Amino acid sequence: MPEVILHNLPFLAAGLRTTLSLAAWTGVLGTALAIPVALLRYLRVPVAAQICAAYVGFIRGTPLLVVLMLCYFALPALFNYRTSAYPACVLGFSVFVAAYCAEDMRAGLLAVPVSLIEAGLALGLPRGRVLRLIVLPLAARVALPALFGQYVRMLKYTSVASVLGVAELTGSSVLVNARVFQPLTILATVAATYLVICLSVSLAGRLLQRRLATPGG
Amino acid sequence: MHYAFQWAPIWEHRDQIEQGLLVTIALSAAALLGAVLIGCLVGTAGAAKHKLPRAGALLYVESVRNVPLLLHIYFWYLGLSALELPAFLCAWFGLSIYSGAYAAEIVRAGVLSIAPGQAEGAAALGLRRWQIMCLVIYPQAFRAIAPSLASLFSQLIKDSSLASVVAVGELTYQAGAIEADTFRTFEVYITITVLYLILVTAVSHALLWLPAARAVAVRIDDA
Repeated sequence: MPEVILHNLPFLAAGLRTTLSLAAWTGVLGTALAIPVALLRYLRVPVAAQICAAYVGFIRGTPLLVVLMLCYFALPALFNYRTSAYPACVLGFSVFVAAYCAEDMRAGLLAVPVSLIEAGLALGLPRGRVLRLIVLPLAARVALPALFGQYVRMLKYTSVASVLGVAELTGSSVLVNARVFQPLTILATVAATYLVICLSVSLAGRLLQRRLATPGG
Repeated sequence: MHYAFQWAPIWEHRDQIEQGLLVTIALSAAALLGAVLIGCLVGTAGAAKHKLPRAGALLYVESVRNVPLLLHIYFWYLGLSALELPAFLCAWFGLSIYSGAYAAEIVRAGVLSIAPGQAEGAAALGLRRWQIMCLVIYPQAFRAIAPSLASLFSQLIKDSSLASVVAVGELTYQAGAIEADTFRTFEVYITITVLYLILVTAVSHALLWLPAARAVAVRIDDA
């Protein structure tokens, strides 16, 4: 390992930890927010479904950096509260990724054949049970690859938090570079780290997908 | 909520917003061009029969798209700071190479979607290999991938906001400058949000109306 990396290893490792914790919080909160949004739109709950559609449309047409700026500068100014960069980033990332995840989940829900739902209802199952026992397990399998794609994208996007001054992996590497000025070595190491993490998440997704696959399906 | 809205200061800085909007459009259009060029080269290699070009394409796609866009831009701006490239160029290279990986996957899918009989028929008519690609495969593939290219373009418009980090004067950068000038934080950010929304919505609808893309839409409806 290059000397400059070894010398700054504790600092860069702390950055990596921040990146991972940002990504983990975003993954959990984003998914938790996406589930109700997808369900409300899928079940066409009046008013709520329209609000969710507007939210998804708004986020998908807005750059992540602008969403972060809104969460860090604009919302605190509007509602008169104080925040720091890390929670603002978690909020911005979660709200951002949830819109994309909700669309992937909704696509999974819509992929469940209507005939299966009708068959469940014909057997006398209540609607809630049809949703829980038939629709959700099948939809989850369809949506899984796309969801992991979003998680990988989110992992990469956590680098944007450095713009707001969060010293995650990218931010701390830029700080180290400002002190020692060896940009190529530092950037290459950081890029390789992202590469390894992102490929591992993709691999985990593929393994989970294989594990959940229905026999013959 | 005790926020007093003041839109007048934003209106006074409209020339800056206008300028930022133009740079955003120019940067994302230039990056789309670069990404499609790279995408055609790498995507065609990815759809090739031989293993070597396929492996090369896979290596490019996986190593480029698993590294954050911000690092791509920093590579040109900081990593090669000895070259002293203008910031716009750094952002353009970063965006083109990063999105080129996504474009390559789109082009590969498009090329593979064309029935092999098309290439065989063209070869039987005596066309050269580049003629087969440029005259027979690409025009048909383009129609199939036009919707994906439209969403790539809207993704590019959004991603171009990261160019503000290396001080390219696009929309997000101008918003920061206006905010520093006027302290109208909420007004300025909501203004550029709406502008991005309009731009992205317009682009994702506009490309679908291209004559080439429409021709196939009609054919699919007829079938």
